Amino acid sequence: MAMLEIEGVNKAFGGLQAITSLDLRVEKGEIVSVIGPNGAGKTTLFNLITGVYRPDSGNIQFQGRSIVGKKPNQIVDLGVARTFQNLRLFTNLTVLDNVLIPQHHKLNSTWFSAVLKTPAYRRKEQEMREFALEKLSFFGPRLMSFRLYQPVYVLSYANRRRTEIARAMATGAKLLLLDEPSAGMNPKETTEITQIIRRMRDEGGYTILLVEHKMNLVGEISDRVVVLDYGEKIAEGAYQQVVNDPKVIEAYLGKRVDDDEGASPEEPGLPR
Amino acid sequence: MAADVGVKNKDARNTLLGFLGIAALVLVLLFVQSLATAEDPLRGVAKFNGALTLFAIWGIAAVSLNLINGTLGILSLGHHGFMLIGGYATGLLILSEDARNRILVSGRSTMTERTLGLSVHSWFESLGLDALTTDDTLWLRYLVAIVVGGLVAAFAGLIVGIPSLRLRGDYLAIVTFGFGEIIRLSASTRLFAPLTNGALGFPGVPQRFASDQLLWPFGLLALTVFVMAKLKYSSYGRAMEAIREDEIAAEAMGINLAYHKVLGFVIAAFFAGVAGGLWVSWLGGVRLDFFLFQLTFFFLVAISVGGTGSITGVLLGTALVVFIRQYGDPLEQSYAVSTWAQLVGVVFLIAAGAVIVYRSARRVRPRVHPVVYLLGTAALVAILLGLVAPSFDFWQETFRGFGMRAIFLSVLLIVIMIFRPSGIVGRSEFSWAWVFGERRDQPTEEERAQDAWLTNPELQRRLAGDEENLHSIDGDSKGES
Ligand SMILES: Nc1ncnc2c1ncn2[C@@H]1O[C@H](COP(=O)(O)OP(=O)(O)O)[C@@H](O)[C@H]1O
Ligand SMILES: [Mg+2]
Repeated sequence: MAMLEIEGVNKAFGGLQAITSLDLRVEKGEIVSVIGPNGAGKTTLFNLITGVYRPDSGNIQFQGRSIVGKKPNQIVDLGVARTFQNLRLFTNLTVLDNVLIPQHHKLNSTWFSAVLKTPAYRRKEQEMREFALEKLSFFGPRLMSFRLYQPVYVLSYANRRRTEIARAMATGAKLLLLDEPSAGMNPKETTEITQIIRRMRDEGGYTILLVEHKMNLVGEISDRVVVLDYGEKIAEGAYQQVVNDPKVIEAYLGKRVDDDEGASPEEPGLPR
Repeated sequence: MAADVGVKNKDARNTLLGFLGIAALVLVLLFVQSLATAEDPLRGVAKFNGALTLFAIWGIAAVSLNLINGTLGILSLGHHGFMLIGGYATGLLILSEDARNRILVSGRSTMTERTLGLSVHSWFESLGLDALTTDDTLWLRYLVAIVVGGLVAAFAGLIVGIPSLRLRGDYLAIVTFGFGEIIRLSASTRLFAPLTNGALGFPGVPQRFASDQLLWPFGLLALTVFVMAKLKYSSYGRAMEAIREDEIAAEAMGINLAYHKVLGFVIAAFFAGVAGGLWVSWLGGVRLDFFLFQLTFFFLVAISVGGTGSITGVLLGTALVVFIRQYGDPLEQSYAVSTWAQLVGVVFLIAAGAVIVYRSARRVRPRVHPVVYLLGTAALVAILLGLVAPSFDFWQETFRGFGMRAIFLSVLLIVIMIFRPSGIVGRSEFSWAWVFGERRDQPTEEERAQDAWLTNPELQRRLAGDEENLHSIDGDSKGES
């Protein structure tokens, strides 16, 4: 039984077909990368899996159970968690709080015993804290000690990305969907996050589906790469095989020509 | 381990300081109370105790509203509705026998024998608890009535909380406002008149509970603050704050939005109902116009001025609002027009000074903003007019500043919102650690060095080869420090 199994999923926004009859399987312990030009539907795919959107047709199964029509929080209960491409941290709360909050859904104390701080609740709180520290320690000392008590709004962009990943891990999910985990990171930080994602699989036991633009990261860690273009899967396989696929090159080259046209180095009309 | 002991010691110190602080506050209040007694034996002390009681009652309401507005981040404008429900329920359950008989024989009343039979007194009687029906045990019956009032209000909170699941932001605020008004208006309809006595309401609610002794209002305020503070710092409070910060992310992290929003509404409504019960006891009766939207407005001012989301801030804000209400009456007496002119002149002068001080402190240039000249000129003209006034008839006429207290509050709100939008205390709570400048979010020297090492690629390259760097982050960072 696959960890995640997507069969014939379609999703349209008005007239725009964002995902077209997509099939995707992710086995337990795999790292699968989804790549594709901007607007290909990668984030939409994540939104479909996590219950933000409901597919127009098709089926999504997690560990053999259909998760179509479930609410995002119910899907987290089952064991799927995600990060957001445009960071959605709880900005005014501390790093530690950000990593405690995703554990709330596992808490089985009532609000009343939380107010009364019963011994059982205290123990739970202590466990939650230890679990949070365990997840944060994936990033070495970066988010530890004094950082734990800093509000997220003082963190650097890269540290926010790390906090988001730690937060997703802290839900207790088994399948993690990482939407551009290295966006906004410098090359050094990207190398670091690459190692960390690998360790998340090897030591943490997570299965990982990730969206990335940085090819060196994708090439380094992916067991399998899936290429989307205009909502359709145009290639799937090992990294080397996929990047040499003519269809993939075409999809990306079309993009690159656009990019070169768009990014003129000098602003016209400015006096020197 | 040494750090653990340090934390424990600091906790003990903070608890001790907390008790000492509260004791000091009580002593100061007792001292002021004795002054009030000395100066004006009857009115002075009654007025002062009135201010304290009002602070406790409104404090309960404001702190509970803060759970919805501050912690959950939902602007709710219907708190007076919950107070009304708690107030009417408590009032009916505790009404004196005399008052019940008078309503029954008055003939104008819409209440029936059955609805008038609803009382804690008769419940205790039918249970055979005669010892609890005496005058001495009124407080116990009151407590029961107030808890029942809170529960009825909490049920209303459940119903009002449900639209909060489908709506957001301004739309939801309007709906809660609508609910508050619906509750208030439906209390006077035929349907509910047997319970509420329609537009007449009923006098004769024993006042002893709230106004003759400070114990109950303050005891219940302490309970409210206890529950709200423990809730805020529990996993449930964190979940609610997550909803405030980002609903979509909160849901994506497994938080059941519906459950926590409704839970917030229910708990807040319960305490609003308790405040309503005390309010009714303080006023000695139940009437529709005891529960105007104005109440919610006062609580909102207390929350915004004190610090949205901060319980200590809300208490401070409530104290300000109550002080202005109780001791702001000189503002509403009649003075000669010339006196008003001078008063306005002085206020303008103070405002001009404040602008200069503010701009100097912030190093904004020009320090003397054109507005200052305008304010200064206006102030001088007003003061001069006030001085030459005695020779003109018009300036002798008196003018009474009705509503000046409300205006003053509104101006206070505007000024705070412009210069300190997060309120006086701000988002965080008052804490002793903050007073002593102990901040856990500041690095030690050692940590600062390590942090610089981690974040600065140049340093990294110089201190170690690229390979080693990766290793240190890869897990075996023990060798590095
Ligand atoms: N909520 C939405 N409403 C309308 N169009 C959407 C919505 N979400 C995504 N789209 C469109 O779907 C397409 C795929 O978007 P997305 O999944 O974000 O792409 P990417 O692969 O860059 O993550 C884009 O054309 C985008 O404009
Ligand atoms: Mg995207």
